[in-house]
Amino acid sequence: MIYQIMAITLKELKVLWLDREALALLFAMPVFFILVMSFALEGVFEAGSKGHPIEILVIRPDGDPLVDQAIADLKRMEGLILIETYEGVPLTADRAEQLIGRGVYPLALFFPERYAEQVLINSKDPPKEKPIVYLISDPAMNLQLLATVKGAIQGAIERRVLLARIPQRLKEMFGTFEGMEGQLAEMLGDTNAGERARSGVDFVHAFPKGFSVKRRPTATEQNVPAYTIFGVFFIVLTLASSFLQEKKDGTFQRILAAPLSKTALLIGKLLPYYLVNLIQIVVMFCIGVVVFGIRLGHLPALIILSLALAAAANGLGLLVAALGKTEPQVNGLSVLLAITLSALGGMMVPTFIMPDLMKTLSLFTPHAWALAGYHDMIIRGLGAKKVLTEVAILLGFASLFFVIALWRFRFDE
Amino acid sequence: MMTFILTVEDLWKRYAQTDAVRGLTFEISKGEFFGLLGPNGAGKSTTIGLLSGLIEPTRGHIAISGFDLFSSPMKAKAKLGLVPQSFALYPTLCARDNLVFFGRIYGLKGKRLKERITRVLEIVQLTDRAHQTVATFSNGMKRRLNIAAGLLHEPEILVLDEPTVGIDPQSRNAILESIHSLNQSGVTVLYTTHYIEEAQRLCDRVAILDQGKIMALDTPTRLIQDLGRGMIEIEFNAGIDDRLLDQMKHIGAIRVADDQKRRIHIETDRTDQVSREVLELMKTRDGALKSLDISEPNLETVFIRLTGRNLRD
Repeated sequence: MIYQIMAITLKELKVLWLDREALALLFAMPVFFILVMSFALEGVFEAGSKGHPIEILVIRPDGDPLVDQAIADLKRMEGLILIETYEGVPLTADRAEQLIGRGVYPLALFFPERYAEQVLINSKDPPKEKPIVYLISDPAMNLQLLATVKGAIQGAIERRVLLARIPQRLKEMFGTFEGMEGQLAEMLGDTNAGERARSGVDFVHAFPKGFSVKRRPTATEQNVPAYTIFGVFFIVLTLASSFLQEKKDGTFQRILAAPLSKTALLIGKLLPYYLVNLIQIVVMFCIGVVVFGIRLGHLPALIILSLALAAAANGLGLLVAALGKTEPQVNGLSVLLAITLSALGGMMVPTFIMPDLMKTLSLFTPHAWALAGYHDMIIRGLGAKKVLTEVAILLGFASLFFVIALWRFRFDE
Repeated sequence: MMTFILTVEDLWKRYAQTDAVRGLTFEISKGEFFGLLGPNGAGKSTTIGLLSGLIEPTRGHIAISGFDLFSSPMKAKAKLGLVPQSFALYPTLCARDNLVFFGRIYGLKGKRLKERITRVLEIVQLTDRAHQTVATFSNGMKRRLNIAAGLLHEPEILVLDEPTVGIDPQSRNAILESIHSLNQSGVTVLYTTHYIEEAQRLCDRVAILDQGKIMALDTPTRLIQDLGRGMIEIEFNAGIDDRLLDQMKHIGAIRVADDQKRRIHIETDRTDQVSREVLELMKTRDGALKSLDISEPNLETVFIRLTGRNLRD
């Protein structure tokens, strides 16, 4: 059986190799997307706009008037949604970090206990003990988007700090001036207020606990895995067409008339496409490393995730081969699935800026799980154990595709 | 004692509401050249699909060289060589690479594989084209390579499904010669065709198949002797009237072959005499007769007698 599987695999590789244009397309397409989309579309996304607001988790002490004011200011900002409870329960620091770590939300804002008190105590120059406000972000978050959102949040918070501290400092210097607070508040109600008084609060940006990221992700680190996955799933078209061609040419008939099990036939047919997928992944990530200087993170995690991803792509290919009865059907279905699932899975637009319904739907694509896994490794620096969930889900998708494909596959057509 | 290479017993295949194959029963002896003759849609390809294990039957038994195709499929399949109606080759590979692949899936390897490839290329006279890409082959060459692929593992029975369809007469003749030589060298052959002359020229026995059923099975000579009658096919320039039709009926057993009553067939053992009578009668109908063809008894007339239709209908 092994000998027959190898015979089919070698034949298939030879046939693939001879159709170099088709093979080149499998590689050229994701490379093209990685290069062009990374360079050209950086910053194009509209995340943070009114139509695509950013959701920010807020962890705050109760009854702090300064925090109340800062949050009220942030809530008034266009393009931001502040979330203080999750599933009806007020957020804790651990829960928020967990949600960020899992990629459910992109950002969290932590106000310390006794925030207002610390701000007011330290109104003297130079402040001795500044309160620290933490902004925790998903390491996979777009860098430019993060900078913009961070600047807006920091500005709003520091403006409130300034407004809170100035009357006290004036009192300390000149005694009480009735009605002065209101006028000062109005006078300083511009957006540059924070810039003029940065000393009242420390603003620290960090990643969730357990992430060994020492630096921020680049657009390429996000795009290379995304377009690699996009390219990997284009194997569906090549694989399904190959089955259809064999049926059309009658070679399938001849193979099935041989003393060969259907299992051996399918393994032999799928193995070369699986190998092509793995080579695709290696090539794409090499381009990422060589051209863009991305760091691959933990290699074992990368390997097991890539193996699972290629299995899911091959399973989908077999499913299309089982469902498509004619060339136009196979072509149409392959392209439809490759594009739709990629878009839905966050290959083109990050899922966290999608509406809730789309976010939920993305969980039903292998693409989203593969991308989450790659981001866990490359950007969040997680090891093999941490991506086992994604690997298991990808293998689940692969199994589901294979089971349906084998149920629907007609050898005798 | 007679050795049967292929035994088929009460074989049925039903698709939705249609029985494509209806209770086929026959045996093929070692070294025999057996023909399945029938028009398109008679069930020949379905029968080949069933015999080569590609299609599961609704019921029935098939044994190849004593191995039951359903309980010992691997052993049974190893004894059968299939030459499908389609070319069943990889057009981007060269002839040798195609044969290497098909040989390997039958378990051939190393020196044995090389020897067999050399031998089958000699049989189909394609040795000098071994390294040429199949896409550049003529249809005749593809047909020959198709046969070579079926012969690689030295099957005990070679099943050929209409192997001369779509090729020029010269290539067709070369293929028929090759198959005949193979049979002479001891290879058992099951051959499907809708060409009467091929069946008559090559087959030791012929099963006439129509609508999935064997209508008759015997040597071509006996079939023609027992069932064949001469055939006169008459074509008129316009549909004939009832009076002329009645007059024709007095001459012999006639069958109107089309709705417009422009063609009639007369079956007879006395073709010369009947054709003279027809021509005499037509003298009174100046210009009505378009053509008159006389066929001596053959497998085509046997088929018409059995089914009421032409093989090429």
